[in-house]
Amino acid sequence: MSSTTNGQRPLLSAVGLSKYFPLETGLLASLRGNTSTVKAVESVTLDVYAGQTVAVVGESGSGKSTLGRLLLRLLQPSAGQALYQGADIFGMNRAELRAFRRQAQIILQDPYASLNPRMRVDQIIREPLDIYDEGSKAERQKRVQELLERVGLNRNHERAFPSELSGGQRQRVGIAAALALSPRVIIADEPTSSLDVSVQAQTLNLLSDLQRDLGLTYVFITHDLSVVQHISDRVAVMYLGKIVEEAPTEILFAEPKHPYTQVLFSAIPLPDPARRMNWDLPKGEPPSPLNPPSGCHFHPRCPQAMSACAHTVPRFQAVGRDHGLACLLYEDGTGS
Amino acid sequence: MSLLSVRDLSTEFRSGGRWLEAVSDVAFDLQRGEILGLVGESGCGKSTIAYSVMRLLARNARIRSGEVWLEDVNLATLDEEELQDLRGRQISMIFQDPTTALDSLFTVGHQVIETLQEHLDLDAAGARGRALELLRQLGIPAAEQRLKAYPYQFSGGMSQRIALAIAIACHPQVLIADEPTTALDVTIQAQILQLIRRLLVDEQGTGVLLITHDLGVVAQVCDRVAVMYAGKIVEFGDVHSIFANPLHPYTQALLNSLPSKGIARGRLENIQGRVPGLADRPAGCRFHPRCPQAKVVCRERVPPLRQVSARQEVACVLYD
Repeated sequence: MSSTTNGQRPLLSAVGLSKYFPLETGLLASLRGNTSTVKAVESVTLDVYAGQTVAVVGESGSGKSTLGRLLLRLLQPSAGQALYQGADIFGMNRAELRAFRRQAQIILQDPYASLNPRMRVDQIIREPLDIYDEGSKAERQKRVQELLERVGLNRNHERAFPSELSGGQRQRVGIAAALALSPRVIIADEPTSSLDVSVQAQTLNLLSDLQRDLGLTYVFITHDLSVVQHISDRVAVMYLGKIVEEAPTEILFAEPKHPYTQVLFSAIPLPDPARRMNWDLPKGEPPSPLNPPSGCHFHPRCPQAMSACAHTVPRFQAVGRDHGLACLLYEDGTGS
Repeated sequence: MSLLSVRDLSTEFRSGGRWLEAVSDVAFDLQRGEILGLVGESGCGKSTIAYSVMRLLARNARIRSGEVWLEDVNLATLDEEELQDLRGRQISMIFQDPTTALDSLFTVGHQVIETLQEHLDLDAAGARGRALELLRQLGIPAAEQRLKAYPYQFSGGMSQRIALAIAIACHPQVLIADEPTTALDVTIQAQILQLIRRLLVDEQGTGVLLITHDLGVVAQVCDRVAVMYAGKIVEFGDVHSIFANPLHPYTQALLNSLPSKGIARGRLENIQGRVPGLADRPAGCRFHPRCPQAKVVCRERVPPLRQVSARQEVACVLYD
């Protein structure tokens, strides 16, 4: 989407960003001239404005986590750019990159796997400060205290190992470590997916408080649409590496237009027995990203597919204010 | 008579030289043609109930007391040989990770046919025919070829369909499904839930005990639900009644902590504190230290599950 919020420049953008993973690597494959790839992310364009939460949703294999890693330059792209305050992060030199990394941090899904089991909580939270040589030893220790308190932990947790904490507490440690360098933007990759609902609620509340108090910007990667509705300002829906629809949250939930978005929303089990789903489900499973269908990737499962969808790749275009999608039903002004 | 009747079941685990109770005095009935949900957060004992009923507990766990009646047979006292004969034929189970139920060294066809021949009087051709029919019923495309494939060649959703095919191959009366869709994407989850609801329950009259942490899944497919907290059932009854009018403070808090329940961007309700471990479950009502409505009596008295309306039972002194 190219529209702006009050003429502001986006804080973080993807511009035609693609990531292809080679299927076979190694000498043998290169001798054979084997160049087949998985198109994990394909020409994604997305703007994230300061102070907003943009949710990236999709099912397994949609490329949402790969997109998150590209936006932090944890992966090199195959094509395209990622702009932070207008500067391409892939063109940054060492010093610029170091400055960028202070400002952009990540929170991962599984706090069991993402925290070093041999480090104590205070070491984990202090590590970014040590790496960036922030302040004196005493100042760092004070900052660790502040951060612990900020995320709802206390001195009792300071010397604990991750294994001694609950899942929710571990996730708080991960959040504290991400906050240590006072970043502006946080990529949160399924941050509540492994938590029980009551703990998820505590974590989502914490993330909202932090955003309000610290002016944080979130890119929230998730498969859980109820979380999306709760926390995000905008939503981008991905299917097999591409954004198929993007809109402000209220608009997308009130009026999903892309057939895939509609299917995805109809499959959410709402916690309300008075509103049971009509079981009007899509046929089949998402195809393998190794061999995506021609034309629109969704056409073999699409309840509204036309013959053209099998060979024409739909363009991403605006269908309303701040609302865009890639579907032939809406091209050339028809259907919109 | 109920299909499955669990009476005062207590199950314990051995840890550090002592036995700790994971499930305490749990009782419920499962009827023919219904889905009964067992819902609760990690560590509440819901899976332990499933493994107790199936008599598949780990070596460090045992049923301390209670009865598990499958019609007129008490599973809790059967020996392993008698259990083997019932499992698969009368009562089956599927798991969160379907690959654990499949043997990676054999084709899925071999595994489905093996189950059929083990329990039913079928020749090779008959078993193969029935296996094909099952795969088709479960929505597996190109069933002929898929019978010759190995488990690693299947996606998570397809593996769960195969696991379900094996579980229902001999028309068991009871299916226990332990988080069967938790590892699957929502569109695949919906397909699997639909199969369980329509094919198994509505058409064949199977009784399904569905263990899940997902209140959305409960609301969509269950007829009745037992809400568990720290090893006990705190509320039990008809799904519509419980979601419309949750009585136990824990059920209320759980429903209020769901993001989709509130209006977008509001604050979600927190439950103070955390679920106690097996070794430090409090006396009295186990929820009392976290309960916003706790009274002094809650610290000592264990509230029994009581019928408070035609369709709802609750274990809480507020309703005495």
